[in-house]
Amino acid sequence: MLTRHIKPMALQARRLYVEVMFQVMGQALQAISEMDREVQAEARALPNGFIFEMMVMPNGPNMIIEHLGAGALRFHAGKPPRPVNLSIQFKHIAHAFLVLSFQEKTSVAFANDRMLVNGDISHAVRMTRILNRLEVFILPKLVAGRAVKEYPDNLKLPTKLISAARIYLKVASQFFDRVRATT
Amino acid sequence: MNNDYYEFFCPVKVIAGKAALEHIPYEVRGLAAKRPMIITDKGVRGAGLLEPIISACEESDLEIVAIYDDVPPDSSTAVVRDIVGVYRQEKCDSIIAVGGGSAIDTAKAVNILASEGGDDIRAYVGAGVIKKALKPFFVVPTTAGTGSEVTSVAVIADHEKSVKLPFSSSFLLPNAAIIDPRMTLTLPPHVTAATAMDAMTHAVEAFTCMGKNPLSDAYATSAITKISASLRIVMKDPKNADARLELAQASTMAGIAFSNSMVGLVHALGHATGSICHLPHGLCMNLFLPYVLEYNLESIREPLGELLLYLEGPDAFAATPLSRRPEASISAIRRLRDDLYKHCKLPRTIKETGKIKEHELEKIATNALDDGSIMFNRREVSLEDARAVLKRAWA
Ligand SMILES: [Fe+2]
Repeated sequence: MLTRHIKPMALQARRLYVEVMFQVMGQALQAISEMDREVQAEARALPNGFIFEMMVMPNGPNMIIEHLGAGALRFHAGKPPRPVNLSIQFKHIAHAFLVLSFQEKTSVAFANDRMLVNGDISHAVRMTRILNRLEVFILPKLVAGRAVKEYPDNLKLPTKLISAARIYLKVASQFFDRVRATT
Repeated sequence: MNNDYYEFFCPVKVIAGKAALEHIPYEVRGLAAKRPMIITDKGVRGAGLLEPIISACEESDLEIVAIYDDVPPDSSTAVVRDIVGVYRQEKCDSIIAVGGGSAIDTAKAVNILASEGGDDIRAYVGAGVIKKALKPFFVVPTTAGTGSEVTSVAVIADHEKSVKLPFSSSFLLPNAAIIDPRMTLTLPPHVTAATAMDAMTHAVEAFTCMGKNPLSDAYATSAITKISASLRIVMKDPKNADARLELAQASTMAGIAFSNSMVGLVHALGHATGSICHLPHGLCMNLFLPYVLEYNLESIREPLGELLLYLEGPDAFAATPLSRRPEASISAIRRLRDDLYKHCKLPRTIKETGKIKEHELEKIATNALDDGSIMFNRREVSLEDARAVLKRAWA
């Protein structure tokens, strides 16, 4: 009975998409924090050695970001080097998919209880702004306009970096298309 | 199909109206409790507000076994530890909070320790730490504003570390909120006005921010109708029990609305101002509401325009063309503030407060950007934006 409702291919593709997107975002975040003044200014307010995690409940894919100090962020694949200070947890992989495929804004997902915050809210507010800024960089304007509250008019970042991130994104979008086609 | 999704939760029994307090003994016994403790503050006790509650219980053979009446306006971890000591010493088995935001938040924290054990409330900080129901808990609000009787959060100061600790769990919600017009009848005009504008802000922000949903919208609009209709009546005729009850219910309804859909920039600025300049929360809400609506205007035209119906009634709504309604809603709120200023000098600008220095604005703007409420504001607020709103609110 139950198995009849499950489309394994689509679900697997969705999970892969979320995994790949966490990788893309993590790496892009690290790169952007080395160059973008606004991200650095936001991140500087986080304690040195601060560990941020975005994950899917109960033990799904995750992304670990460490604040090295002076606004620089580092992406860790897999396990966090130290206990996590701030964790943003999606209640289900389906909700992570909505946000990471930019169909739902991060702030809307918060407002609608699709994810939980464990840790200092003021840090969560900062990380959300950093993620918004990241999305603006790596997404085509049309998609980014849907994913963030406001599209800023002061984007200054080496085009090389942006195009590199967008290549990753292309890989991710293949999974996205597969999910679309099969659900 | 769009991606709209929401959650709505309010398991609090609301007991409201004439002789509501007399229902307390029945409700306490209904949860198998026999030895309730009252948690309140000196102001509430001094105003004689405990008497009708105590006599209602005595008449029904329910003994209030302990009363703690020393909750300060800015409650702390030490206060919570003291109270839970009394609770245990007197072998209490339930809690009745009587008061405003501070007494209610304190009682929520006391209930955590009374139920889960321990003396250090800091062990339970954050969200989702509490996993099971706590002791029977009842709230009798004595201000009409905070809505704390229907929110699942409590904020307690840790004076040792100079931080405010947030506690969040649906188990913090009381089993029942008892709303009786006798409790707010003697509230001074200035407090009545400020707390009502806090409730108004809860409703307006719930209706215009990102977390709005159909159920919270229904509560928010009803609350706005009640406040718009009754606040001026109460200012002229403070002993009007019917209008007082309307405000008290509006406050609870606005609380239900915002605890399900969150608030926005007015609260972010208000929290920052309150903690830096030690001004009452409701006063800060009244201060910033129109300026923030003006800042957000282009992103909230539709919901803000709709609110004109609830702020000014059907005639004014029908007489105002669609394109002018958002601005008309802001004007209505400004007129209400002008009337409140006439009645009790509730400040409308930062200057009128006389308590905020110009050099403090920068710190207020910075702190507002770290406040959780800013996440649910429709516009992405930058530091410059926050500075600009404060500048407009200056005079
Ligand atoms: Fe408030």
